[in-house]
Amino acid sequence: MDAPLEIRRARRPALPGWPFALLALAAAVVVAANSGAMDLGWADWQALMRGEASQGAQVLAQLRLPRVAFAVVVGASLGLAGALSQGLFRNPLADPSLLGIPGGAICAVALVLTVLSTWAGGLPAVWRPFVVPGAALAGAWLMCGLLQGVARWLAPGAVAGLLLSGLALNALAMAVVGLCTYLATDEQLRNLTFWQLGSLALANWPVVAVLAAGVAAVLGLSARWGQALNALALGEAVAAQVGVPVARLRRGLVLALAGLSGLAVAWCGLIGFIGLLAPHAARGLVGADARRVLPVSAWFGALLLLLADTVARTLVVPAELPVGILTALLGAPVLFVLLRRAQRDVGGGW
Amino acid sequence: MSVPVLSLQAAELRRGGRSGPGLGPFNVQVSPGEQVAVLGPSGAGKSTLLKLMSGELAPTAGQVLLAGQPLAKRSPADRARRRAVLPQSQQVAFGLPVELVVGLGRWAGDSRRDDAHWVRQALAWAEAGHLHGRRYDQLSGGEQARVQMARVLAQLADVQDGLLMMDEPLASLDPGLQLALLGTLRRFCAERGHALVAVLHDIPQALNHFERLVLVHQGRVQADLPTGLAGRPAAELAASPAALPALERLFGLRLQAVALPQGGWALAARPLEAVA
Repeated sequence: MDAPLEIRRARRPALPGWPFALLALAAAVVVAANSGAMDLGWADWQALMRGEASQGAQVLAQLRLPRVAFAVVVGASLGLAGALSQGLFRNPLADPSLLGIPGGAICAVALVLTVLSTWAGGLPAVWRPFVVPGAALAGAWLMCGLLQGVARWLAPGAVAGLLLSGLALNALAMAVVGLCTYLATDEQLRNLTFWQLGSLALANWPVVAVLAAGVAAVLGLSARWGQALNALALGEAVAAQVGVPVARLRRGLVLALAGLSGLAVAWCGLIGFIGLLAPHAARGLVGADARRVLPVSAWFGALLLLLADTVARTLVVPAELPVGILTALLGAPVLFVLLRRAQRDVGGGW
Repeated sequence: MSVPVLSLQAAELRRGGRSGPGLGPFNVQVSPGEQVAVLGPSGAGKSTLLKLMSGELAPTAGQVLLAGQPLAKRSPADRARRRAVLPQSQQVAFGLPVELVVGLGRWAGDSRRDDAHWVRQALAWAEAGHLHGRRYDQLSGGEQARVQMARVLAQLADVQDGLLMMDEPLASLDPGLQLALLGTLRRFCAERGHALVAVLHDIPQALNHFERLVLVHQGRVQADLPTGLAGRPAAELAASPAALPALERLFGLRLQAVALPQGGWALAARPLEAVA
């Protein structure tokens, strides 16, 4: 019963992917590290590599490189979290920051920083590096769980329903943050503002290493998870029928999503829209196959945040803008375009 | 007798509260290689029965056995190697390429080596070979239906004695394609010893192409009877008039089988009032 086979060759990308992508990222890293209050150049890199203690080499080693590496890993985390979230919720608009997942993290951090630390008579400084990320993780995870519940209860493909639920949950989280702000002391208030605006100013190598490990772990899983996310795009019932262990997959995805976006929030506050832009750009570049969308989202998120942070650092030298403001300026118009397209795709009504 | 490939043992579905009396209990056995059509008026519970059979819904009482073992005890991958399911609605998020959608049927397969071959083969079987390389979300409804059919064919292409479950697989297709695909489906299953359970709306299709009818009415099996097709050559149209009274009761129709000069039967349907 062999029917005639009609074979059409799949379109191949014109450029070889990986070398080009890494080259572009490396070039962006060099350009970003060179720009700032003090212009650096090739001579300073050479000095750094020879181990000289020139001023340029010092700035590069102690300020620029940690900062640039931080932008790369945070951007990759946010891009990857966006791709996971869109796949998990089967929704091209399901950016973590639109769904309120970082909001949940900030809410938990605010509670820990104000209520808990006031009640416990101030948080011991030794504990802080662990308590804040822990709270952010827990808050993000809780928010993901709530959204999961809501998404399962909604009709499948209800774009607006999911976003509005995220909006409601985010409003709730922000109300709690507002309450904490109201109750906070002056010093606590400064801290809280940092989280709400989003900045990469707290760059340091240990944090870069933790985030890089997280990104690497999820990327390592992305071959297997990518195909599972593809199956999920056909609906949970179909995914289960082709053999995907859906419940286990969902738990893993929620954990990875909460981990990536919670940790990013813990150390840089709210940086929105990277998780929306990166997966969209990735789909435009390599198609909708999640096995490719995941790594390319990480790559594009890294590139995007590196660019945004460089602009944030250099636009108003010697001061710097919170990078979250820049990504929002960039992302909000794109969201409008995507909303319009989503509405058109589902035939006008949601 | 061999172990039924699927066995519903007093399986019922009761939903708590206001949402109706629920379904079942169902006692249905499907033997290996059997070709069963599920018929019934809209809202009778055909699709829900299929979901109970496929394990998408767990029975609230009784049990569902797949090849002798309770569904719940089999892993998702194990189930996927024994049965494939084509649901009625076919939404796919994002613009996945056609060959990827079909390739997902190979998820639980033992080897990745022949996947590309089976994907192409399954698309060709489903009369969708020309769609290879296209984006799923840009296809017409009928094309999407064929791609989904290719997905379930790819899933069971290299196993034996499986079970194929389909919810209105032909609903959005042209008449010519419907007949071609029915023939392909039956051959596909016969060659591999797969049983086929399909929810259908078309009475002649059910009578001419399936061995057995399960008639569902108000959440119960009203009748379960052979069409008389078993054992006959596949190409022969062989609707048996014996099944007609049960179908008349089920749909509230008058049915008349007319013997055709070239063999087989044609079916004429009239409303009850017109007769009285």
